[in-house]
Amino acid sequence: MAGSALKRLMAEYKQLTLNPPEGIIAGPINEDNFFEWEALIMGPKDTLFDGGVFPARLTFPPDYPLSPPKMRFTCELFHPNIYPDGRVCISILHAPGDDPMGYETSAERWSPVQSVEKILLSVVSMLAEPNDESAANVDAAKKWREDRKQFEEIAKATVRKSLGL
Amino acid sequence: MPAILLERLPLPSLQTYVAASVALLAVALLYTHHAVLTTPTLSMVEKEAMAAMQSPSSLQQSPAEDPGPSFFDLLRFDISPEESDPDAEAEEDLDSGNLTLPYDTYGMNFMFMLTSEAWCVWTLVNTVYCVLILLGKLIQAIVFGDLRVSEQQHLKDKFWNFVFYKFIFIFGVMNVQTMEEVVLWVAWFTCLGFLHLLTQLCKDRFEYLSFSPTTPRRAHVKLLGLLTVLLACASALLGVCIVAGFKFGLTIFAFMAAECVLLGLKALYVVVRYMIHLWDVSMEGVWENRSLYVYYSELVFELSSLSIDFAHHLHMLLWGNIFLSMASLVICMQLRYLFYEFQRRVKRHKNYLRVVKNMQARFPMATQEDLEHNADDCAICWDKMESARKLPCGHLFHNSCLRSWLEQDTSCPTCRMALTERQENANSPANNAPPGAANNANMADAAANANQGTTNHFFHFDGSRYVSWLPSFSVEVTHTSLIPGQQLRLLQAQTSQLDGMLRQVQAVFPNFPQQVILEDLRQTRSVDLTIDNILEGRLTATRISDVAPMRDDFRAVPTAPSETPVREDSPWVAPSAPPMQPPMPSPVSRTGQMAVQAAMQAAAVELSSPPLADPVLPPTQLPTSDAISTFTRQSSQTAESSPASSQSSEEQSLHGDEMLGGGSQTQGGRFSKSASERMTMLQQRKTAMLEQARRRYLSRTSGSSEGTGDGLSSASTPSSTSINTASDEERARRRELMLQATQRRLNSS
Repeated sequence: MAGSALKRLMAEYKQLTLNPPEGIIAGPINEDNFFEWEALIMGPKDTLFDGGVFPARLTFPPDYPLSPPKMRFTCELFHPNIYPDGRVCISILHAPGDDPMGYETSAERWSPVQSVEKILLSVVSMLAEPNDESAANVDAAKKWREDRKQFEEIAKATVRKSLGL
Repeated sequence: MPAILLERLPLPSLQTYVAASVALLAVALLYTHHAVLTTPTLSMVEKEAMAAMQSPSSLQQSPAEDPGPSFFDLLRFDISPEESDPDAEAEEDLDSGNLTLPYDTYGMNFMFMLTSEAWCVWTLVNTVYCVLILLGKLIQAIVFGDLRVSEQQHLKDKFWNFVFYKFIFIFGVMNVQTMEEVVLWVAWFTCLGFLHLLTQLCKDRFEYLSFSPTTPRRAHVKLLGLLTVLLACASALLGVCIVAGFKFGLTIFAFMAAECVLLGLKALYVVVRYMIHLWDVSMEGVWENRSLYVYYSELVFELSSLSIDFAHHLHMLLWGNIFLSMASLVICMQLRYLFYEFQRRVKRHKNYLRVVKNMQARFPMATQEDLEHNADDCAICWDKMESARKLPCGHLFHNSCLRSWLEQDTSCPTCRMALTERQENANSPANNAPPGAANNANMADAAANANQGTTNHFFHFDGSRYVSWLPSFSVEVTHTSLIPGQQLRLLQAQTSQLDGMLRQVQAVFPNFPQQVILEDLRQTRSVDLTIDNILEGRLTATRISDVAPMRDDFRAVPTAPSETPVREDSPWVAPSAPPMQPPMPSPVSRTGQMAVQAAMQAAAVELSSPPLADPVLPPTQLPTSDAISTFTRQSSQTAESSPASSQSSEEQSLHGDEMLGGGSQTQGGRFSKSASERMTMLQQRKTAMLEQARRRYLSRTSGSSEGTGDGLSSASTPSSTSINTASDEERARRRELMLQATQRRLNSS
């Protein structure tokens, strides 16, 4: 399957290069392996993570796009939908079969018509609007719900840190 | 697991091992050399003894004098088979007094001495292994280079597994008693294991190489060369098996041959896969049957190696006369594993056949007309479609892409409509499709169904029930007498023409609102006229960002119904689709845009926009285009969760690119052909983004301390900086185009 996956990834890379969405850069870390990507995501404007640049790593399975890639932020990111180890918890990244939270409809989950761009855009909107109902990071969800001010402080520090300032 | 325990053994480094081996060998050689030189004296002594040998007492002494007859024998068999001649052996035994000097030449004597001493023999065995390891290292250096972590891990696992199972085989199954047999088997399995490991390495490396589009030809040639050598070795070993089979009987032959065949099959499978891959890579376009070949080659090779392995193990279990032992337990477990693997594979194949059959029965191949109407790539592999299958919901996919998806899921990848076999009976749209994503398709379905009976129908769509941002609207469907095909084709032609012209105009006025240009183009039908209109100030640029939210709603939603199957599915229903919107002759998406234009023109009256006196626009005006692109992005983002296929979002992103104009190109828009260039460009873009974000952050923090919270200026900072860094080349080109347009105008007037 690797052949068709490679072609598809190549096409996606091309599209993302020629026509990059606002605040998103993504591409293979090393072209010797097209199945490991790094993406830079800029925090969406007028949100808590505004201005931060967050690196993430995308790992594609050999049967991509039949199975979703895995995505993990390589920087520290305190967010209700991001596990403490950086893994991203959004429904679009879940294969139609498995349902870790038990409430997603299959319509929200992975399908081969999704793409890296759509994943990253979903992540951007997830950064803008955390979903505290399916918390991957319980601490963050709690803080987000109960102590918004402190959450904002942490988010600001994260943004600052992500910029290396 | 044995592998884990064994892995923790403190193994010496290769250098130390090689050095020790060489030292040992040197000592052994030196010793033998010395021994050979000193033999004459020894033989003299023995000759004296031989004189007294006539007595039976000394006869008994001579066999005891030999420290390791079995080593001696085995080595003659193993390393110097020419000496294993039974005649020679008999001869030696006969005149055992001449034992120290059986040959005339120094070299022969040397060999003889070397093989007669036990520790020398072990040194030689060690040397053989050392050479083998070095050979492996050499092959690795030539063919593979540095091994990746996963390859190393695989290699290690494979190695220890192999050692473990072969140990069981030799001592558990064969139950060998003599040292000679042990050494023979060990020699055999050493060769086999070595080849097995290399094959495994080839397999891993092939899989890795197939992950990259830019593998140099040399790497392929090397790997294929090695695989050919491995195949040749496997067949050579098979030859050895046949020879051994004649000598030791059918059972031994079966044991040995099974291993050989497994090795050969594995190597052959990698070669076949490799060939398919190379063929696929070298071929332009889509190879529809590729996955078929891949699937069946995998199936055949997997099933055959599993069955051979199974038979091999069964043979072991039955032949080994020791039923109740650890070895039989291990073999039973292995048998069980193999059986489940086999079962799993067969099950998967059954599923595959079912899917194929189901697909052929229920999803017809798309007609040429369907393909033309769709005019899009396959949403699964993003390749062009020359032939496709059509789902009941009207979405088209490659035969092979659809099949591999249906193997694991039973819904349409685009709209998630359930494709289970019972679905045909359950026609009520609410049941079989998830809400939100598929409701547009359902609505269209309903429209199609309704249309068969009556001409007029009224539909109400309550979008906010599903997703908050979805609008609610009502649609009245009426029949018109337009011939569907003609109308559609006409509209498509018009649209593509307009798009082309739009692009030309936007090359000159990258920041001019697209809608205004489109509207004017529709009237003028000429690029030049529109440019003139803009230059003369007859067209006004409005701040799109003010109207954009409204536009966004229009764009995101009405494009979706235009994708619904109604038009693709049954042409005679088609006329109902366009009039779903207020009666306008253009397709839905355009209707939306026109409505937007009306709104924008209204807005344009209110907002007195600056006439475009200066052709090259000052950077302060550029935020407008940026704002548009942002909104287009948002709309494409929202569209993604609606059933709009990738076409609509691609279309939108295309527009977004056009509106960005030079802006997107400064972000590194070119897609280079060379991999290294692409990588550096990507790196540059990343650093640029980080740099930009830093600058913006710093400027904002300083700005906020001053208390200037101008939303627009802060929002536009990144784009304006990126445009400021735009290449002068781009700007010059724009200026030139502008100049041409002005000249044309002067000439005509």
